[in-house]
Amino acid sequence: MTVGAPRRMNRSVFVVVPIFNEGPVIESTLKPLIARGYSVVAVDDASDDDTWSVVRTLPVYSLRHAINLGQGAALQTGMTFALGKGARFIVHFDADGQHNPDDIDVLLEPLRKGQADVALGSRFLRGADRRAIPRTKRLLLRAGRVVNGILTGLWLSDAHNGFRAFTREAAAKIDLRENRFAHATEILTQMREARLRLAERPTAILYTERSMAKGQPMWNSIKIVIDVLLRRIFR
Amino acid sequence: MRPVQFIFIVLLGLVTYLYFSRLRSGLLDRMIVLLFAALGVAMTMVPDLTTKVANLVGVGRGVDLFFYLSIIGLAFICLLLYSRIRQLEASITELARVLAIKKTIVPDNPDEPKF
Repeated sequence: MTVGAPRRMNRSVFVVVPIFNEGPVIESTLKPLIARGYSVVAVDDASDDDTWSVVRTLPVYSLRHAINLGQGAALQTGMTFALGKGARFIVHFDADGQHNPDDIDVLLEPLRKGQADVALGSRFLRGADRRAIPRTKRLLLRAGRVVNGILTGLWLSDAHNGFRAFTREAAAKIDLRENRFAHATEILTQMREARLRLAERPTAILYTERSMAKGQPMWNSIKIVIDVLLRRIFR
Repeated sequence: MRPVQFIFIVLLGLVTYLYFSRLRSGLLDRMIVLLFAALGVAMTMVPDLTTKVANLVGVGRGVDLFFYLSIIGLAFICLLLYSRIRQLEASITELARVLAIKKTIVPDNPDEPKF
């Protein structure tokens, strides 16, 4: 963990964490981010557990949707807020603790060097990360990669990784209208349309029983595709 | 007049009345509704009319033609409602977002970011 000057530098890195019903784990997800000196934007998407009472007491920017809108909407709220606060970089970080806070620097590196506008985390760039993915999930992600490639024209190694980093300029070009999980595909489409330079970086995923139970079941993948297709018809 | 013709015409009249009394809309909408109501009455009064039209376009019975057209019409209405729902959702999202940002709880730490 870094302290002192780098810690101050991290202030201009806004980590957006969309949260829905993560009461039991949210504190342990946010604390390491706070400790590293990031500006944390916690967006509670109208949780009906004790998430909000935990989040609002932490030293983070606490935002709450009055009604549940979905992860895509929560991310967009966080990004809009962060841009308004003058963020230099914006990071998407999952609330369930499956991302490693140390990987944020890994994602920011190509952005700081000016080599990319957006950096995406991937579970498929290192053997160890790949093997950590449960078998059925791995197959699903492989299929998702193909679907995403066809729908968005971007062939990424990891279809649905919520760990992303943007420069301020790149984030300003993203406007998520897909409130629910189809935002993950929408975001790729918008990146391509805005001709943003992408980089993929290896990031580890910690699969916990909780995140697995909450994660995206097969049925969701089908819903996402339907959402994306309907979106094509109704602008 | 058969009882069924009477019932249909009353129902048609009721729907048209409800439309004009409860829903406000543009001139074109009103004309379309009136046109459909008139068509409905005509089809009820002269049942053979639909069969003649059906034969013209290559469908055996008037009822079948009517059935096909109804399905297309209903699908169209579903799509209209769907896009309306999406618009509403977008407005609600915008509202919730603005409200959430306005009511942000800011961390009270001494080195509040200045950049």
